[in-house]
Amino acid sequence: MTTGDDRPQPENVIQMPAREEELELDAETLETLREALDDLRREIRLRVPDQSVGSRPEPGAESEIDFVALVDGLRRRLSTLGMRERTVEVDDFGLDLALVERAEPVLDWMRSVYWRIEVEGLEHLPESSPALFVANRAGILPWDGLMLAHVIRKAAPRFERPRPMLADWLVTLPFVQAFVARMGGVRACRENADRLLRTGRSVIAFPEGAKGATKTFRERYRLKRFGRGGVVRAAIENGVPIVPVGLVGPEEAHPVMFKSHRVARGVGLPFLPVTPTFPLLGPLGAVPLPTKWVMVFGEPMTPPVPTDAAAEALVISQANAALRERIQALVEVGLDRRDSVWD
Amino acid sequence: MKSPSRIAVTGLNSEDGVRIVERLLSRDPAAKIMGLDLSRPLRLAGKIDFHALDLTSPTADVVLAERLAAEGVEVLVHLAFRSSPTPDIEEDHELETIGSLHVMNAVAAAKLPRLVVSSSTMLYGARPDNPNYLSESHALRGHPDAHCVQNRVEVENLLADWSARNAETEVTILRSGWVVGPSRSNYISRFFEAPVIPTVLGFDPLLQLLHEDDLLDVYEESILHSHPGIWNVVGREALPLSTLVALAGKRRLALPSPLLYRATDFPSIEQTGDRPAGFFDYLRYLWVADGERAWAEFGDPVYSTQEAWSSFVSSRRL
Repeated sequence: MTTGDDRPQPENVIQMPAREEELELDAETLETLREALDDLRREIRLRVPDQSVGSRPEPGAESEIDFVALVDGLRRRLSTLGMRERTVEVDDFGLDLALVERAEPVLDWMRSVYWRIEVEGLEHLPESSPALFVANRAGILPWDGLMLAHVIRKAAPRFERPRPMLADWLVTLPFVQAFVARMGGVRACRENADRLLRTGRSVIAFPEGAKGATKTFRERYRLKRFGRGGVVRAAIENGVPIVPVGLVGPEEAHPVMFKSHRVARGVGLPFLPVTPTFPLLGPLGAVPLPTKWVMVFGEPMTPPVPTDAAAEALVISQANAALRERIQALVEVGLDRRDSVWD
Repeated sequence: MKSPSRIAVTGLNSEDGVRIVERLLSRDPAAKIMGLDLSRPLRLAGKIDFHALDLTSPTADVVLAERLAAEGVEVLVHLAFRSSPTPDIEEDHELETIGSLHVMNAVAAAKLPRLVVSSSTMLYGARPDNPNYLSESHALRGHPDAHCVQNRVEVENLLADWSARNAETEVTILRSGWVVGPSRSNYISRFFEAPVIPTVLGFDPLLQLLHEDDLLDVYEESILHSHPGIWNVVGREALPLSTLVALAGKRRLALPSPLLYRATDFPSIEQTGDRPAGFFDYLRYLWVADGERAWAEFGDPVYSTQEAWSSFVSSRRL
């Protein structure tokens, strides 16, 4: 377990003023104070020559006291007076650290007892953070992303919490979207990946996308097309290594026997998966089967940076195909480690 | 850069209009400001040069062009938009889209050096397939059920065409998110003032709020100095809807979307004439904008999303 203190705090943990501020100001006093501060601010801004609005003072310039900032601070305190105390702990992508912490024991239990996850190749994790983890994807609900993020964080805290990227259709589902976002999931798109990698946060991508999540049981462990090379492009443009991961087990957690498109259209879903437990058992069908999982980490890859603009597309698609083969090979390794689906 | 000596404001009587002009006057009491609207705001009586003008009248562009040229106006601030949609969808279109077209025509004819236009990040549309942070270059997809959003998407499209043809006029487009504050009242603030806030069950998007004073700061700066381009004017940080409601000490009534949309269809939000999806989808999907560029250009906002919200909440409790 981590010791609570050395963990990086999310940027906007706002500690509301402590109990000292129980003083009760009546409405009129507050209003007068606010108006007085507004007047003061206006006055200062008029007197301070040539200070353009909103601009910060030059970093090198020797400024005496920044009166505007002072008044702004006071006004801000005034307007938050009387607010209930509450710490707001979500980061800019909606990750809720308090929830993640509470979920940690549950995830630990799921890892060691429920899915008995066997992890291999941890020595391949790169020394530098961030990294772009790429894995095969199956099993409707994003359990694989959740567990992979958990395993990586436990094995190598330097990656903080890698963010699993989710297919579009998951984001339209009620509850799933809200819960997954709080656990650190983000929608899969280049803008999000770039922003996360740029700010030093690792990303878990599933380039098979919805095609992978919804493959039927008979197609399991046969990797689908790897998108259009967006993963490779993201790694090149952000200068991060790709870590291929083969996941065995999640593909059987929700074995899709067949997909119904006709019924799905009736209820406004992109497709309706039929598993042994869903829709037969209703919401209980969302409970994944306790299959045996193996996670195999491969050696990091650094895709070649295309030098020739004309050949760029080919270089990318070659690297993309190579990546897919690597993950397929890692999946085979993982399959060999298991005696059966359950063991 | 020299501050403009003559400024014109359309939609003067709007909340922003009056307060922006007050700001400009407090900076320079001798500022020459021409105000245009249907009626004269009493708060500014005697301080500015007011002209009654109906932007929806067929010859509004001709009249406006003459006035702008006669007065030698350097910057026109276009604020003539609805703060809350009305049920009169046709009239809203006439004012927002056609009115803006008239303004563009007049600005072109009078060869104004600068034009500042108010816009909104709602124009990106609340969609499940939005990236978490929308940059200024993202497509404006709007929302089919929000007529005021659609009108303003059309305005921005017209404006893009127009500025390609009129390169000598510098255009600043300020796309602001939801603005809250002690003195601001529109359909959004009224929605959050209710004791129970209806929301969509199973969705809890991040929302971004801007304090009214921060918006005024940006307007003031963009009027006084040249900042051509499109800017997302938003507050720092984003908070989940559930956190905002909890911070306000209110209750959330989460209903499944089909039920919520049907139940609110008849008493449609504030009688806007729109289907409720046009409002509730903004409480369902992400539409957070990336404000980095504007923060670097105009300076950091004073209030974060949480502070803006606190300011709104505490002022409403008074």
